[in-house]
Amino acid sequence: MHRTVPSLPLAPSVKVKLINAGFQVASDLTDMRPLQLCKEAGISQEEAVEVLQMLRDDGQPHQQRAATESLTALDLLHQEQALGSIVTFCSALDDALGGGLPVGKTTEICGAPGVGKTQLCMQLAVDVQIPVCFGGLGGKALYIDTEGSFLVQRVADMAEAAVQHCTLLAEDTEQRQALEELTVEKILSNIFLVRCHDYVELLAEVYLLPDFLSEHPEVRLIVIDSIAFPFRHDFEDLSQRTRLLNGLAQQLIQLATQHSVAVVLTNQMTTRVSNGQSKLVPALGESWGHAATQRLILHWEGLRRLASLYKSPSQMEATIQYQITVQGFRDAPDEPRPTPATSAVSSPSGNHSKHPRMEDRS
Amino acid sequence: MVILREGVCPGINEEFIKALQSEDIKTVEDFVSCNPEELAQKCSLSYKALVAVRRVLLAQYTAFPVSGADLYEELLSSTAILSTGNPSLDKLLDSGLYTGEITELAGSPGSGKSQVCFSVAVNISHQLKQTVFYIDTKGGMCANRLLQMLQSKTPNMEEQMEALQKIKVLRVFDVFSLLACLQNLRSNGLQKASVGGGSVKALMVDSVSAVLSSMLGGKQNEGMSLLMQVAGELKMIAKDFNIAVLVTNHVTKDGNGHLKAGLGQSWSHAPRTRVLLQRIEGAETSSLRTATLTKSSRQACHLVEGFDLCHWSEERRTSISGKRKLEERSKP
Repeated sequence: MHRTVPSLPLAPSVKVKLINAGFQVASDLTDMRPLQLCKEAGISQEEAVEVLQMLRDDGQPHQQRAATESLTALDLLHQEQALGSIVTFCSALDDALGGGLPVGKTTEICGAPGVGKTQLCMQLAVDVQIPVCFGGLGGKALYIDTEGSFLVQRVADMAEAAVQHCTLLAEDTEQRQALEELTVEKILSNIFLVRCHDYVELLAEVYLLPDFLSEHPEVRLIVIDSIAFPFRHDFEDLSQRTRLLNGLAQQLIQLATQHSVAVVLTNQMTTRVSNGQSKLVPALGESWGHAATQRLILHWEGLRRLASLYKSPSQMEATIQYQITVQGFRDAPDEPRPTPATSAVSSPSGNHSKHPRMEDRS
Repeated sequence: MVILREGVCPGINEEFIKALQSEDIKTVEDFVSCNPEELAQKCSLSYKALVAVRRVLLAQYTAFPVSGADLYEELLSSTAILSTGNPSLDKLLDSGLYTGEITELAGSPGSGKSQVCFSVAVNISHQLKQTVFYIDTKGGMCANRLLQMLQSKTPNMEEQMEALQKIKVLRVFDVFSLLACLQNLRSNGLQKASVGGGSVKALMVDSVSAVLSSMLGGKQNEGMSLLMQVAGELKMIAKDFNIAVLVTNHVTKDGNGHLKAGLGQSWSHAPRTRVLLQRIEGAETSSLRTATLTKSSRQACHLVEGFDLCHWSEERRTSISGKRKLEERSKP
């Protein structure tokens, strides 16, 4: 073990006492008994036991491997292709995102009130359940609602439309078999709903998520709608808010990577006045902008709803138009079909569908 | 401070240590700083044994001075300059990234920091055929994008796969794992990687501020210590292994509303060169960026260069695959 004592995840007071007693490297501590450590360093018995327990856990093979194991980019490429993405049923948006919402990354959706953020989240909670033979992920969804805007009737409508869409597409026996199990009741029962009333409940919920995900490995989507609401009112200390949000963001990306889930966060907009002009920018501050891996901004232009991909590690910035219909989140009616040239750009998702999806004509 | 215990040096055994501890001497430092004659009188240890042990300990733990001329020779022979692949950035950095130093890229979200890191990694692994270590703390590493960049450099699949294999990705999400990872690299990871053929020439950390910013400020008193430990590890890796270290950082606004790199004054001393990336005012949706040199020991500060993020995807040959269109895809 080559860890130095100051870099161990222990309480600062314990570390100071250990360093004053002369322990420099983690290997100095491994042969000690709790009572011995207690006397030499002057820490309490419980702290000594805690320190030794932590070192023993750290020395476990899987922990060590996690810290030292490096994948080559080639392995990562294969992994990414196997992970897939969640379609949004709006083909223009799917193209802009490179096949859909990527699994294993955090995506932030910002927008003014009423532009369709919650609609998109509900649509994604339905779309993640599309069976694998139709090109979907066949997974479950966890919906963390902080605003109280989750409406079951709306999700039922979207689920019904999705089932109808798949029925139109079903062509061989495997797909027809999968279709028999895909009912509105089943779709609704695969969405886990949690209601958080303030930021403390939200932080506690995120803290409990690793255990939840280990118990339910089929969960492929986590939606937090919205992450801005509990943090925007009633928070006096803004720097503490920034710290909490940064910590939360790191926990979420860790969950996304380790358990292969897509994390979707919804954010609100605030006005920024500069040079005599005011414009709408995403809320929660400048440093929150770095938290999510991808950022999608939904905005109005007259009567049209537009979605702009503002930040993405693998896709170019693009703006597309969409609309909300009875069936849910769909393409805008006069959106030009993607030409064959642009659709030759390789999509990162391992697309398992055997037949191309038909455009929704309604 | 190293604790005195058996095996630290031949001649030290249990009784020796117990006798010393009764005089309140626990570490090597305490031992060599006290007088062996007095010590021989106070504990019942022989003077000869004490002097012998003292000599061995001094030889083991002293740092030896090196002459300036030797250092200069070493610097000349071991420093390499790694091109970033983009001529305007190279101009800004005085022909590229220098090994043995930390270079920092700061910018607001979407300004292109990760893209520059990807392109540097691809350039080093493909052009220079050296191994690159990429520590990702934000989940932004996208192997597909690396493949796209490689496809625009060469249509040969073999070469692309080879280059991808030279980029090693480590994913850590909090500061303690980052420290564990860096210490592991320093003790055996980097040597193992260089044994296999290509030598490691670059290490990238994207981003350093994601793991550190939640530890700084407020009533937490550990944040600064962890920040300096990370800085220390990165510098030691850069110096001992002759590696170019590239880190990314976020930005904050200072009192006048101007952008400056995050993590404060203490971190600002860690990197040798600092570059600030910004979008161009008014051209919010284009891929053009400006890079401003904010700290450099080789060039005048505040040099500005414009560059295009799509530069690395432009084709050099007439292959069709992977070309990213430079024209706007957004609707008017």
